Amino acid sequence: MPRPKILLVDDDPDLLRALRLRLRANNYDVLTASDGYAAIAAAQKERPSLIILDLGLPVGDGFVVLDRLQNSDSLAGIPVIVLSARDPQSNEERALKAGASAFFQKPADNEELLNVIRVSLGPGTAPMAAWPS
Amino acid sequence: MDPQTTHVLLIEDNPGDADLVRLRLIEGKSPVKVNCVNRLSDGLASLSRETPSLVLLDLNLPDSRGAETFRRVMEHAPDVPIVVLSGQDDEALAIKAVHQGVQDYLIKGDISSKHLERAIRYAVERQALLRTLEITRKQQMEFKNQFLSHVSHELRTPLTCIHQYVTLLLDGLAGPMLPDQSDHLKTVLKSVNQLHAMIRDLLEATRAEGGKMRIDPRCISLQELVQGAVAMLRPTADEKKIGLEMGVDQRLPLVHADPGRVLEVLINLLDNAIKFTPPEGSVMVQASMVDADPGYVYISVTDTGRGISPEGKALVFERLYQDPDAIDNSRAGLGLGLFICREIVRLHEGRIWVLSEPGQGSTFTFTLPIYSLARLLAPVIVHQERLRPAFVLVRVDLAPLFSPPRGNWKETWQQCLEVLRRCVYLDKDLVLPPMGTSGAIETFFVVASTDLQSSGTMTTRIREQLERVADLKVKSTLTITTLPVEPPSGNPDATLEQQVQAVAERVTQMIKESVESKLLCAGKGTPGHKKSAKKT
Repeated sequence: MPRPKILLVDDDPDLLRALRLRLRANNYDVLTASDGYAAIAAAQKERPSLIILDLGLPVGDGFVVLDRLQNSDSLAGIPVIVLSARDPQSNEERALKAGASAFFQKPADNEELLNVIRVSLGPGTAPMAAWPS
Repeated sequence: MDPQTTHVLLIEDNPGDADLVRLRLIEGKSPVKVNCVNRLSDGLASLSRETPSLVLLDLNLPDSRGAETFRRVMEHAPDVPIVVLSGQDDEALAIKAVHQGVQDYLIKGDISSKHLERAIRYAVERQALLRTLEITRKQQMEFKNQFLSHVSHELRTPLTCIHQYVTLLLDGLAGPMLPDQSDHLKTVLKSVNQLHAMIRDLLEATRAEGGKMRIDPRCISLQELVQGAVAMLRPTADEKKIGLEMGVDQRLPLVHADPGRVLEVLINLLDNAIKFTPPEGSVMVQASMVDADPGYVYISVTDTGRGISPEGKALVFERLYQDPDAIDNSRAGLGLGLFICREIVRLHEGRIWVLSEPGQGSTFTFTLPIYSLARLLAPVIVHQERLRPAFVLVRVDLAPLFSPPRGNWKETWQQCLEVLRRCVYLDKDLVLPPMGTSGAIETFFVVASTDLQSSGTMTTRIREQLERVADLKVKSTLTITTLPVEPPSGNPDATLEQQVQAVAERVTQMIKESVESKLLCAGKGTPGHKKSAKKT
């Protein structure tokens, strides 16, 4: 069974490196993007099973990315977990309304984050069915 | 209006005095326009139409006297300078007037034209200066709040990075660690967590100060919340060999409060109590009702620490206050905890205070309003000025299959709450505000204006609709229970209000019994009370 593929989007390269290590250690394939444009391009090209998305990003912030994903028939079904340093009081509801399935404020508890990733990927963490091209 | 001309509104009822003042004003060198009225009400009406440069005010008018007169003008036009013109040389009243914001207090008998002109000019200047200062103060305050909010956000980014790498190393994801190295890293992680808490407090305090703190009040049982807080702080207390006890009155009513916020207050108070109590001491948390104040529940945390000085007591809830005699000042924190507690309690319309004597320990007490069901129920259980004939209480339990619940459990049950609200008739059924439970099981109650026989249609509808919520089926089990609400005893003299109150009390009692029997079942494995429940 191929390992689920996670697209990790953050503009802090150091954080990307650490999170990639942790996700790989938990048996996920990881690809990364460090701006909004690259995130959408990677999502279109690689069809990840899940996206972890920062909000404050150059070239199209997290909300722009959420909007693009929601408006794309082929990408709208990918679960998105927002991981941001921003204040949940003013951003959580907005992100969930824009299509995110969960909101975590940085720094997030690793176990909680991994838990939500597992659940979002569905029972048995089976990889998503092949996407129609 | 011509900006060069000083527009004076003269409020004076004595025609002779008015003429004299007008004359003095016109004699002066600078251009003046005078609008004279002889009643306060006319003066206020004129202020509503246009803003003069200044108000010259006699205090004793046909429709107002003394200090009341300038207070009302100030209320009406806070930015317009006021100079009082008085017939009597009353120094005490003059000082009082100046303290409350009047620019000057002149005696009618001693004013020359030059003197009056100058008094007016300076009054206008001073008022303008004050206004600028006030605007600057507000801007600075806003700037400070924005700055703090920005800083606490920016601090999170590097903190997240440190947190990630430290946990990577500690979890052995970058290779095995020697025991000593692991210990050192745990110390780093502890400091990271402290820093995280401080950043959180900084943002909370900024929010509270800017009036932007929000609460989400629900109907909650304090028993569980206090138990939760005590359980969280038990390890810290044990480490210091401090006894941690709780005494919560079993008959305590439910309160209307935000469970997360109340937990925050409890944790803060308990944490402080443990911090300031020497080893072998004790900390006690209690919750009870007070006869003299039946609308509130009193929650207190008592310690056997060294107490607070009288000066400290006055300041302890202020921002940045820190105990000057703290034994361990190295990790004193920001001094925001109690300030945040006070703001949270204030948002719940409760009170918080401390009783303490140096050397005798301290007791921090706060109050929370009890939950008034009658107010919520009245619109649905009353129809055409009469109580509806029958009611049932429907209880819906969502128990997650996994512990801790997987995924965004909060989102799942909120979705359920919305579904539930769509399943009822808004004019005769009520989905009660969610029960705040610290446990994972989410319980909803619905009061429906129907009898037990006919309630089946509704519960079937609820079950069908809830089972359609995609996440729910894979994440939890659903239980629906229906209980009839006994009608209030047929006292023919009871007012409608009293009848509503009686139904509300009955429902409250049923909810309490229902919740507590669940707690007993879950907690001790003993069977719940026997009840004529109909399970669907």
